Amino acid sequence: MDLYKFKYTFEHRLNFIFGLLIFIFFILLVKFFYLQVIKFDNYSSLAKNNRIKMIAIPAIRGQILDRNGEILAANKLVYTLEVDPKNKGDVEKIKEQLSNIVEITKYDIKKYKKTLKENYYSSTLPIKTNLTNIQAVNFIVNQYKFPKIFLKQKFARTYPKGKSGAHFIGYINRINKIEIQKLKKTGKFESYLGLDHIGKTGIEKFYEDALHGYPGYKTIEVDANNNVIRTIETLEPQHGKDIVLNIDYKIQKVAEKSFGKYKGAMIAMDPNNGSVLAYVSQPSFDPNLFVNGIDEVNWRRLNDSVHRPLINRGVSGLYPPGSTLKPFVALAALENNIRQPPFSIKDKGFYNMPNQSKTFSDWKKGGHGEVDIIKAIAVSCDTFFYGLGIELGIPRLNTVLKRFGFGEKTNIDMPNEKSGLIASAQWKKINHKKKWYQGETAITAIGQGYTLTTPIQLALATAKLINQNYILHPKLLKKDTISMHINSYKENSRKNTNLKLVKDAMSLVTKEGGTAAFIGRNSSYNMSAKTGTAQVFGLKKDEVYDESKLPDKLKDHALFIAFAPTEEPKLVIAIVVENGGHGGSTAGPIAKKVFDAYLSGIK
Amino acid sequence: MPNINFYKLFENIDRILMILILLLITIGLITLASATQHATSLLANQIINITIGIILLLFLSKIDPKRFLFYAPHLYILSLILLLSVIFFGFESHGAKRWINFLFFNLQPSEIIKITIPMTLAWLYHRFQNNISYKTHAIAFIILAVPCVLIFNQPDLGTTILIFLAGAIIIFLAGLPLKFIFISGFSFLIALPYLWSTLHIYQQNRILSLFNTDRDPLGAGYHGIQSMIAIGSGGVFGKGWTYGTQTQLNFLPETTTDFIFSVYSEEFGFIGIIGIFIIYFLILYRCINMAKKMKNSFSRLITASLMFTLFSSTFVNIAMVSGLIPVVGAPLPFISYGGTSMVVSLIMIGIIMSLHSNKSLIAN
Repeated sequence: MDLYKFKYTFEHRLNFIFGLLIFIFFILLVKFFYLQVIKFDNYSSLAKNNRIKMIAIPAIRGQILDRNGEILAANKLVYTLEVDPKNKGDVEKIKEQLSNIVEITKYDIKKYKKTLKENYYSSTLPIKTNLTNIQAVNFIVNQYKFPKIFLKQKFARTYPKGKSGAHFIGYINRINKIEIQKLKKTGKFESYLGLDHIGKTGIEKFYEDALHGYPGYKTIEVDANNNVIRTIETLEPQHGKDIVLNIDYKIQKVAEKSFGKYKGAMIAMDPNNGSVLAYVSQPSFDPNLFVNGIDEVNWRRLNDSVHRPLINRGVSGLYPPGSTLKPFVALAALENNIRQPPFSIKDKGFYNMPNQSKTFSDWKKGGHGEVDIIKAIAVSCDTFFYGLGIELGIPRLNTVLKRFGFGEKTNIDMPNEKSGLIASAQWKKINHKKKWYQGETAITAIGQGYTLTTPIQLALATAKLINQNYILHPKLLKKDTISMHINSYKENSRKNTNLKLVKDAMSLVTKEGGTAAFIGRNSSYNMSAKTGTAQVFGLKKDEVYDESKLPDKLKDHALFIAFAPTEEPKLVIAIVVENGGHGGSTAGPIAKKVFDAYLSGIK
Repeated sequence: MPNINFYKLFENIDRILMILILLLITIGLITLASATQHATSLLANQIINITIGIILLLFLSKIDPKRFLFYAPHLYILSLILLLSVIFFGFESHGAKRWINFLFFNLQPSEIIKITIPMTLAWLYHRFQNNISYKTHAIAFIILAVPCVLIFNQPDLGTTILIFLAGAIIIFLAGLPLKFIFISGFSFLIALPYLWSTLHIYQQNRILSLFNTDRDPLGAGYHGIQSMIAIGSGGVFGKGWTYGTQTQLNFLPETTTDFIFSVYSEEFGFIGIIGIFIIYFLILYRCINMAKKMKNSFSRLITASLMFTLFSSTFVNIAMVSGLIPVVGAPLPFISYGGTSMVVSLIMIGIIMSLHSNKSLIAN
């Protein structure tokens, strides 16, 4: 190869390389143009996402107080150890690391795994809650060994009264998947960022929005190691509002104590404004068990118990009203001009159905003798009401019952309220595909049959007997301005006479000869009431109901509705004692103790 | 007397090229000052590196190319010995054995070979310039292949490729027949699957991450993504010096070395990119012209090869930080922090200047 050719080839190929390098320069320039000019917005926001983080500042949940400021639900400061679920740290390893400081039990791990499954947005999850002060200090001293475990100070919900009032107070628990979906649907999800808990029952659920408040945000700039460089913006949280209830805890306590070991429910309400002063549902449970996820043993114990402690009987318990329905049935008869005094019957202890051979017996063998409508209520004469019912008929009865709120929700500020049931021929046809029998009308008139009520309905209906305030609603939340509709006596005078008649009859219940006469003895005030006994199961013909021979769960429910003082009622009580037998003897004394406590307090 | 000596020190310096290089070094220092985030010792070290490099540049520019010609084979043997001694005396860092520890500095022989390979190959072709045959090319290939294999086994894929290209460019410029180039290129494609299997898993991952950045978002692809975010978020005008959030908040890795160009792009934007590209183009243009003007093939081949080495390093680095090629870990000449890279790059410029100013000394 000669030198000239060598130089020629060299220059030729050098030019080629020069061109190649220029071409590469061009490609690089295009790439940078693409990144910096075309895709600028995209990369700019990515850079921002890298360094700008939003941290939710949780709002402190409001407290729940009774009318006197007694704390029913509060927040206490607790120490928890939390781990980042994203770094999927082996739980067993963490357990071992922490073994010198605090024992992570099998149960803790189980709970952690459960929250891990349910949790969707918490940055860290608790692996151990409720550390003692010594454990917390020990951890702080050794924190440097555990860069991925965090000691957090948190407010934890606490229910200082434990089992007492648990049903109306309710409880909070960790937010679950279904609730997250619901919150997203209602657009409230944002206000739960940084918060793990939500009200699940009772006041905690009903006033969730007010109690939980609105979280604040801190916009911060972080570096790659998540060190905070600076705070860009802080939006303070709006802490939850305290909820003050109408409940008077002193009365509540008396009511619960009087209830003893019985199952059932009791509502004590101010008839003038619907304030619920005491709300008992027995048996009860400790809401503190739920706050950080209830363990399986306790859950099974509560959920599988035949006594159903988790059922909020005050609003969800459905009971046949028994004889406590009689005052309302009587009123319906009076308003329809049947059985107006001085109408009376001769009660021999049974009632013969017209045109039929069927008879219905009275609760009292041999009957009550000469019975008018007032006596019929006072002595709870079944025979009187069988005939009354047949003549009155279901439609006319139901019109009055509806006016008193039976068969529909009272709209008390409490979740899971049931509406109860007032039956009719039409209802039976739809639900049972069967014809309505006249006999059913007869037993409906004494509060048996298909009719079902909740204790809160009974309380409201009784309150409506007093002042005919038809827009009255039971209320747990205390308001400063209570709209009292004293001017509600605008019904015609005839109805008022009817109502007075019924009330007079009820006042006789606690007098000598009445079904709750022993309650009225030695009382410093007059009490109007109505007893009731609801059959749990039907007796076969010719079978005799003998309380002492029946197992507890088949015993009749004892019911009692009352208001006192008769002259100027300040308190209404409705009470259902499950399997308590006769209303007057079991439920009556409980009510009496609550009246005593309340009325003596008022004086 | 000292004045005359002082002037004589600069007599072989090509002013245009020198100014362009100093401009690049200044840009590097400014960027480094931002990237170090007040770690002034790093900046001071770099100034020392530059000083050493410039002294060596001045010294080499004064050396007669005849000496390069004479010492080229010796230097090649010496650098091979150094490469071999890495295997026995070298120390490991990041899973690779690339350095030998001398008393006061760590030497990376693969950097030295970047200079000695072009010299040796140029010497070979200069020596047989009247009788270049396939045999000459074969010898050249062996001279090139031996150090390449050694460096590949360190392992250092990036440097292997750069050195291979630097040598291959000489063989190409020396007139390797095009027919042969096409045939060997085709064979290479066929052998590719085998070559792939010889790569380390981390090297395979780095290459794979190029094709799918989601493969391993916090692994091999993470650095590349953060770098692209830094560059892209710089926009047209940049975020301003020391105001690059990706850099200052450490989202960008290796800001002083491999990813320093991302720092520059983030803070000076596309305008800055155009500026620095103009400087690169002028350097390239100047070097090409210098090579063309040289009177002997030895000088021409070395100049072309060294220039190509510098630019391929530059391209690899820039293509890497902008996501065009995988993150292979290659410094940016004249800009990245690091003694070896800076000194070697300046030595290369010194050699080019010596060859340029003494163009008539070796007659063909």
